[in-house]
Amino acid sequence: MGSLVELKERQKPVDLHETTDLALFVRTSSDNLAGWDRQKIVDAMVREADVPSDVADRISLEVEEIIVKADIKFVTAPLIRELVDAKLIECGLEDARKKHTRLGVPLYDVDQMILHPNKENANVPHGPEATNLTLAEGIKKEYALLKVFTADVGDAHMRGDIHLHDLGFIDRPYCSGQSLEYIKRFGLSLPNSLSTAKPARQPEVLLAHMVKFAAALQSHFAGAIGWDAVNLFFAPYLEGRSDREVKQLAQMLIYEFSQQAVARGGQAIFTDINLYWEVPKHFENVPAIGPGGEFTGKTYGEYEKEAQRFVWALFDVYKEGDGTGRPFFFPKPLVHITEKLFRTEGWQDFLHHICDVASEKGTTYFVFDRGDTAKISECCRLSFKLNASDIEDAKSPWKMRFSALQNVTVNLPRLGYRSKGNDTALFNNLRAMMELAVKGHLQKKYFIESLLALGDTGPLALLTMATDGAPYLRMHRASYLIGMVGLNELVKIHTGEGLQESKRAIKFGLKVISEMSLLCKKYSEMHDMHFVLEQTPAESTAYRFAKLDLRDYRDHAQNFVRGDVATGHIYYTNSTCLPVGSSENPIERVRTEGLFHPLIEAGSITHIWLGESKPAKESLSNFVIKVFRETQNDQIAFSPEFTNCLACGRTVRGLQPTCPHCGSDKVDGITRITGYFTKISSWNKGKIGELRERNRNKGFFAK
Amino acid sequence: MRTVKIFIKAGCSRCPQAKQAGATLKDEGFSVTEFDVGTTDGLAEGAYYSVQATPTVIIEDQNETIIGDFRGEVPPIETLRDMLTGN
Repeated sequence: MGSLVELKERQKPVDLHETTDLALFVRTSSDNLAGWDRQKIVDAMVREADVPSDVADRISLEVEEIIVKADIKFVTAPLIRELVDAKLIECGLEDARKKHTRLGVPLYDVDQMILHPNKENANVPHGPEATNLTLAEGIKKEYALLKVFTADVGDAHMRGDIHLHDLGFIDRPYCSGQSLEYIKRFGLSLPNSLSTAKPARQPEVLLAHMVKFAAALQSHFAGAIGWDAVNLFFAPYLEGRSDREVKQLAQMLIYEFSQQAVARGGQAIFTDINLYWEVPKHFENVPAIGPGGEFTGKTYGEYEKEAQRFVWALFDVYKEGDGTGRPFFFPKPLVHITEKLFRTEGWQDFLHHICDVASEKGTTYFVFDRGDTAKISECCRLSFKLNASDIEDAKSPWKMRFSALQNVTVNLPRLGYRSKGNDTALFNNLRAMMELAVKGHLQKKYFIESLLALGDTGPLALLTMATDGAPYLRMHRASYLIGMVGLNELVKIHTGEGLQESKRAIKFGLKVISEMSLLCKKYSEMHDMHFVLEQTPAESTAYRFAKLDLRDYRDHAQNFVRGDVATGHIYYTNSTCLPVGSSENPIERVRTEGLFHPLIEAGSITHIWLGESKPAKESLSNFVIKVFRETQNDQIAFSPEFTNCLACGRTVRGLQPTCPHCGSDKVDGITRITGYFTKISSWNKGKIGELRERNRNKGFFAK
Repeated sequence: MRTVKIFIKAGCSRCPQAKQAGATLKDEGFSVTEFDVGTTDGLAEGAYYSVQATPTVIIEDQNETIIGDFRGEVPPIETLRDMLTGN
């Protein structure tokens, strides 16, 4: 914490060259009063900013003079530093000023943070832990922009040309995907932990290990923690367990992850569980690990029935909802729809079951793995497609650990404003932004590598643990995400038509994304890294870009930002999606949006907003099959809306102004914000603007 | 007028065969367009037609409705000629 310098008594006259005559006292962070010592200012300048000692001495004297002459009661340490920084600028020492700068938060801002919720991330509830998180994020964000990224990259972020995601978590990779096999095989032995646990012998213990490991991972990654084939990897522990016990375990798993809002910053762990009805082909012949971390002597292909019992039970619990009937926000169930699913006994009943949950609660995510594609999905839509090497790793599934190091999003509409309808200018501007995004990735990579190099005494010790011979974070396999916001608006700005308006507009949109995709390949080869496109979730980025463009390109932007300019509820259409309010039927939306998905290797999704309607499970099931067979769409989710009464606790369908049961107006809406469900009261203004314009597809699906 | 769209890429073993078929049809006066999916324009056009393998040959009518497609394969040139002439 910063210290306060208290001016106890003023001496007149003062010999500024004799500081011992000054009766200034420093109130230190350790609750001591220390005497004023000008030399500390000198030392700081020399130590932190390489200022020559004679220059530092002169500046310190000038600052001391200002302090003494000023008739103020308290001088804060930040003020002294600012005064020194101003003197450094006067001396032309701009670089030294940058190094000597102080990171901190104005008193007013802290006051606001403590009193009011942070709406940048709807997954952060308001409370003391959230305040801590916001404060820490604020300082680390400043640190990142000053220390990790060069000025051109940092300034591009500040201007809103690009968005460097999770700057407040600069000292962590972005997200992590893994399987249970790591903890099943090695138990729970984390660096710096007070005790270690051997591999679990009971499913309940395995679950406890999973939850704790997820919390540990949340402390080392900025975003989502995904788990592959959860029902399959639990299966060897479920032999001999009754259906009731399996249901109990399913309930425990879902409640453990949905009620984890007591961890980092009061934030629930953004957890994704990948689920299969069939045994995925790449796990069929893999030796199964069971209780005690021992190989059971069977392959996973032999645990199909146990895995099916568990996934069925999980969806039974999802269907019931929480204690008040609300949908569970986490863990998000991502069900893989594959060719093999349709060849596996019972698939129709299973599909009806998960579609029933999708209709009832909206919880199910349908991930489409066509042909030989296999992937692990997480976050709001991120996917790691398994390549030949990953499939080889699948024989030892504990090795399957995937990570994206960072996400950088390009503000596409701004490229349109700048290019004034000129194709050459537009693609040149796009290339320049992609280059900047890649530069940002290289800088974050370099920074993370410097932390990892500190090994087991460094801040990322957990990610360097090499229990299986390789570091937990396999840097050479990491992905570097490049996202996009507002393709629809860019196309409209540039061609005069939005994506939903013509074939020409769609083709132009595909050209923009094709160029980005090919640039990713080019930079991947150039740097021997894995750059891939992802549809940015853009929970706050779509709002931030719209706000900044309205400020800096107002004449143009006011015609293209979506939402209500007058009230500030503005946003850009997310990624490559069609406008949320456009009226095409859902299958047409899924098909059209799906044209972009094969170009976006690291994941895409199409949302189908349901509003109050509750389609028949058979109707949704037919829809899902049609999407799988007739489109290239990567993932879909159906999003109903709910109202939860804070007075009587009941949950009803649709967004209602008052509770239909007790009449209370103390209600909160619930629906999907981007790739997850949350309470509408926590949404930012841009997302509220989007919510108002969503097309609920009333009457399309049979009830 | 019916048209042929041929999608190819560098290093694809059967693409030369598709290119040759396209060249022959072009010499016969048919409308043939070739797209290299390794280029921005080719990749974009390929995405629009959900091209997942090369070579892919697509035949459209005058309303740009697909009347035939061959994905990851090259049909006999007679087949293409018949489709283009409506036989």
